[in-house]
Amino acid sequence: MKKQRWALLTMLLALMFVLAACGGDKKEGTDKNTDTGKTDGGTTTGEEAKEEQGDSFSLSVENEGTAIEGGTLMVALQKSEPFQGIFSWVLYEDAYDGELMSFTTNSIFKTDGDFLITDEGIASMDVKQAEAEGEPNIVTIKIREGVKWSDGEPLKIEDIMLPYEIIAHKDYTGVRYDEELRNIIGVEEYHNGTADTISGLKKIDETTLEIHLKKVSPALASGGDGLWTYAEPSHVIGDIPVAELVESDAVRKNPVTLGAFKIDRIVPGESVQYTANEHYWKGKPKLDGVIVKVVPPASIAKALEAGEYDLALSFGSAQYPEIEALTNIDVLARPELYYSYLGFKLGKWDSEKKEVATDLENSKMGDVSLRQAMGYALNVEEVTEVFYDGLRERANAILPPVFTSFHDASLEGYTYDPEKAKQLLEDAGFKDVDGDGIREDKEGKPLEIKLATMAGDDVAEQIAAFWLQNWKEVGLNVVFTDGRTIEFNSFYDKVQADDPNIDVFMGAWGVGSNPSPSGVYAHNAQYNFSRYTSDSLKQTLSNIDSKEAFDATYRAEQFAAFEKEIHDVAPIIPMMYRLELSPVNKRVKNYSIDYANPTELQDIELTADAPIK
Amino acid sequence: MWKTVVRRFLIMIPQLFVLSLLIFIMAKNMPGDPFTGKITPETDPARIEELRELNGLNDPWYEQYARWVGNAFQGEFGNSYTYKVKVSTLIGERAMNTFWLSLLTAVMLYAIAVPLGVLAGRFHNSWFDRGVVLYSFISYAIPTFVLALILLYFFGYKLQWFPTTGSVDVREVPGSAGYYISKIYHMILPAFTSAVLGTVAIIQYLRTEVVDAKSMDYVRTARAKGVPANKVYSKHIFRNSLLPVAAFIGFTITGLLGGSIFIETIFAYPGMGQLFISSIASRDYSVITALVMLYGFLALLGSLLSDIIMSIVDPRIRIE
Repeated sequence: MKKQRWALLTMLLALMFVLAACGGDKKEGTDKNTDTGKTDGGTTTGEEAKEEQGDSFSLSVENEGTAIEGGTLMVALQKSEPFQGIFSWVLYEDAYDGELMSFTTNSIFKTDGDFLITDEGIASMDVKQAEAEGEPNIVTIKIREGVKWSDGEPLKIEDIMLPYEIIAHKDYTGVRYDEELRNIIGVEEYHNGTADTISGLKKIDETTLEIHLKKVSPALASGGDGLWTYAEPSHVIGDIPVAELVESDAVRKNPVTLGAFKIDRIVPGESVQYTANEHYWKGKPKLDGVIVKVVPPASIAKALEAGEYDLALSFGSAQYPEIEALTNIDVLARPELYYSYLGFKLGKWDSEKKEVATDLENSKMGDVSLRQAMGYALNVEEVTEVFYDGLRERANAILPPVFTSFHDASLEGYTYDPEKAKQLLEDAGFKDVDGDGIREDKEGKPLEIKLATMAGDDVAEQIAAFWLQNWKEVGLNVVFTDGRTIEFNSFYDKVQADDPNIDVFMGAWGVGSNPSPSGVYAHNAQYNFSRYTSDSLKQTLSNIDSKEAFDATYRAEQFAAFEKEIHDVAPIIPMMYRLELSPVNKRVKNYSIDYANPTELQDIELTADAPIK
Repeated sequence: MWKTVVRRFLIMIPQLFVLSLLIFIMAKNMPGDPFTGKITPETDPARIEELRELNGLNDPWYEQYARWVGNAFQGEFGNSYTYKVKVSTLIGERAMNTFWLSLLTAVMLYAIAVPLGVLAGRFHNSWFDRGVVLYSFISYAIPTFVLALILLYFFGYKLQWFPTTGSVDVREVPGSAGYYISKIYHMILPAFTSAVLGTVAIIQYLRTEVVDAKSMDYVRTARAKGVPANKVYSKHIFRNSLLPVAAFIGFTITGLLGGSIFIETIFAYPGMGQLFISSIASRDYSVITALVMLYGFLALLGSLLSDIIMSIVDPRIRIE
C-alpha cells in the first residue's frame, strides 16, 4: 500500500516538472494544430493576429537618455552549435562567420538600398565598356588615401589585388573560384599555372587598379561579374602559402581588418571580444568594444529578458512570441533576401549538353492549368498568420520586396482562391470521374501527385500536412514522396537528380545582392530544379544581364517580363517572403537595420552601464 | 594481470578495424555529401563538382577507405570539411572542454550519489530513505533538457548566480588565474545537471547492497565483537557495497567523455557531443569517422578499466 502511494506521488511530481517546463510552448502548438483542422477557426485567429501586429515593425529605433562615454555592446548570436571561426572573406563559408566579421569588415565599397555600389566607401569604381569586339571592358578601382589597417599599416593597392590571387590560386579549396571569377582576363591562366600573375589586374599607381573583364553586365554594380569587394592585408597574409592560410593565426586568431572594430580575443566556437579600431578611416567608434556570444535558441528569449544582451543577431522568428511582450526590448524587422517556392518538375537535366531538357508533354505536371490550380489552392495567407505570427508574407513574385526598385508590389501572384483552382481543373479536364472526391487525370486515370518537402521542426510538419489538406479540398490527391517529409541533404540530392518520385517540390532560395535570376532560371543552370526553359525566357534572362540593362528602366522592364512569364507558365510558384528580426535593448541609443540607411557601427551609443532589464 | 591488459589492447585492433569499416560504409551511404549544403544561387555547381573530385569523393568507397586507413596509420585523420582544420586539432579543442567537464561531473556524481546511497541503506525505511528514493525517481524520469533548462532559468537567469553560456568569459586573459576560475565557474551548472541525472543507478545499487549487507553474518559477527556501528558501516559494509558501483565506473567515465548533446546545446558549451551531431548533419565524413573510432576505443577502454578496478576492489576477482 505504502509503496504504491509513493510511486504515484513520484510520478505526479515528475509530471508537474515537465509540464511546468514546457507548458507555454505546448499549449500554443496544440492551439495552432486545431486551427489547421478547421478553416473557420483558423481564419479568426489569423485576423486577430493581424490586428495585433499590423505593420507595427519598424526599421529603426531611437531611445531617450544621455549617452555614456564608451561602453561595451553585448551581442547575442543565436546559434545552436559553436561557430566555425574562419575570419577571412575569401575563405569563410558559414553565414554566422559572416555575421561575426561584420563588426570588423574588410569591405571596400559602400552600397545603397538596392545593394548598388556607391562612391562613399573606401574605394570607388568606374566602368569603361569595350568599344569594339575583342577589346577588354575596364573597371577602374580607386582607393582613398589615408585608410589604415587595424594594425596601423596603410591600405595599399596590392591589398585589393591579393584576394583575386588567393581565390584563383591552384591551392585554393573554397567555393569561390567559379565561372564568374573567370570573367577576369587571365584568371584561368593563373589558376592553371601558365601565368605567374593575373594579366587582367593592372596596378596603375599606388591608389588605382584596373581590372580587365571579358564581359560586363549590370551585375557589376552590385559586385558581380567577377568583382571582389573586400581587401586582404597583404603585409600580413601575403607570404602565407594559400594552402596553409585557412589554418593560420592570421585567419583564426588575430585577423587584421579595416572595420570599425577589431578582434581582440576569441574563445573558439563560443565568443569574440572586439575593441574599437583607433585607425578606422571614419574615426574611432564611440563604443569601447563589442562582445558577441553564441546563445542557443532555447534560452535566447530569457537572456534578452534578463538584460544580458543589447542586440541579437540571426534571431529566429520562432522565438518571437516569447519576446513580443518584453518591455526592455524593441523588435525591429526588415525583409530578408529570401523566398520560398513551389516547384514543378517539367523536364530533366541533360548532363551531356549541360542544360535543361524541358518536356512538358511527358511531365505529369505538364498542364499549365494543373500547376496554376495547385497555386491557387494553397492558403499561404493563413499559414503566414497562424504559423508564423505574421513574420512571413505571401510572395507575389520572385524578387523579394527588399529590391525596392525591381520588386513590383502591384503583382497579384497566386492568392488563395480554391474556387478558381477548381474551375481551372474542371476546364482543363481534370474531373472527378468515379465520384470519390478526388479528381482523375484527363484520361480518367487516377492522378497521384508526389510532393517532396524538407523535414523540419513540428511546425514544418504541421504546415506540410496543411498543404496536402489544401490540395485535397480542390480534389487533388497529393502525397509525400517516400511517404514522409525528407531530410535536408536527401531532399537536395533527390531534387537535383530529378528523382522520378518527385512531381512537385517545395524549396527556398536565399537571394544574393545581385537580383539577376539567371543562376536559378537559366537554361544552363544546374539549380534550375524545375527544368523549365523557353526561348522567350532565355531571351529575357539574357536581356536582364545585357549591356542595355545598365539603363535601370530597361532592366526593370525586363524583370517585369521575367516575372510575367514565370507567373503565366508557373514552372515555380513563389510562396513566402520572410522578415528578418532584430531585437534591440532600450539601452541602445540609436539603431537602424534599414539597408538604405543602416546605423554605422562607429555611431552606436549606449545610455546605461548595463543592458536594461 | 599486465599480460591480460596487453592482450586486451591487442584484441582492440581488429575490433576497431571492423568498426572503421562499418562506419565508413554507412557514412558514405548517407544521402548527400559535405558539399550538398553549400548550394546557393551564388555558388557555381561546376566548382562544387570540382571540389568533390579534388577531395576524392567521386572515387569508389573502397579506394577512399584504403586511403583513409593508410593515413590513419600515420595518425592523420584528414581535415574537417566544415571547420577546415585538422580533425585532430578540432577534436583536441573540444575534447579538452569535455574532459574537464566530465571530470567535474564525475566528482559531483560520486559526491552526491555515494553518501545518499549509503545513508539511505543504513537508515532503511526512514523518512530520509524515502526522500532519497523519491529524488532518484525524479532524477531518473526527468528528461535531460528539461532539468537543464530549469536549472539554467533558475540559477542562470533568475538568481544570476552562474554564467549562462560558454566555457569561459572572453574578457579573461588566457593563462591568468581569473581565466581558470572562470572556466570552473562556467562548468558548475552543466556539470551539476549531468551529475544529478546520472546518480540514480549508483544510489539504487549502493542502497540495496547496504540493506542486504546489514543482515550478513560478517556484520553480525563484527557487531557481536563490539565494533561500533559507525565503524562497521565505514569499514565493513562500505567496501563490500561498492563492488557493483566499481563494476561500471570505467563505463561511467568513458561515457561522460563522449559528451552530451543536450547539456552542450543548452549551455552553449562546445564539446564532443555537439561536434558529433553537427558533423553528421553536415556530412563531415572525416570528423564522423574519427569520432566513431574514438568512441569505440573509449567503450573498449571503459570495459577494460572496469575489469581492472574490479580486480583491485575485490581480491577474489582475477583477470586471466
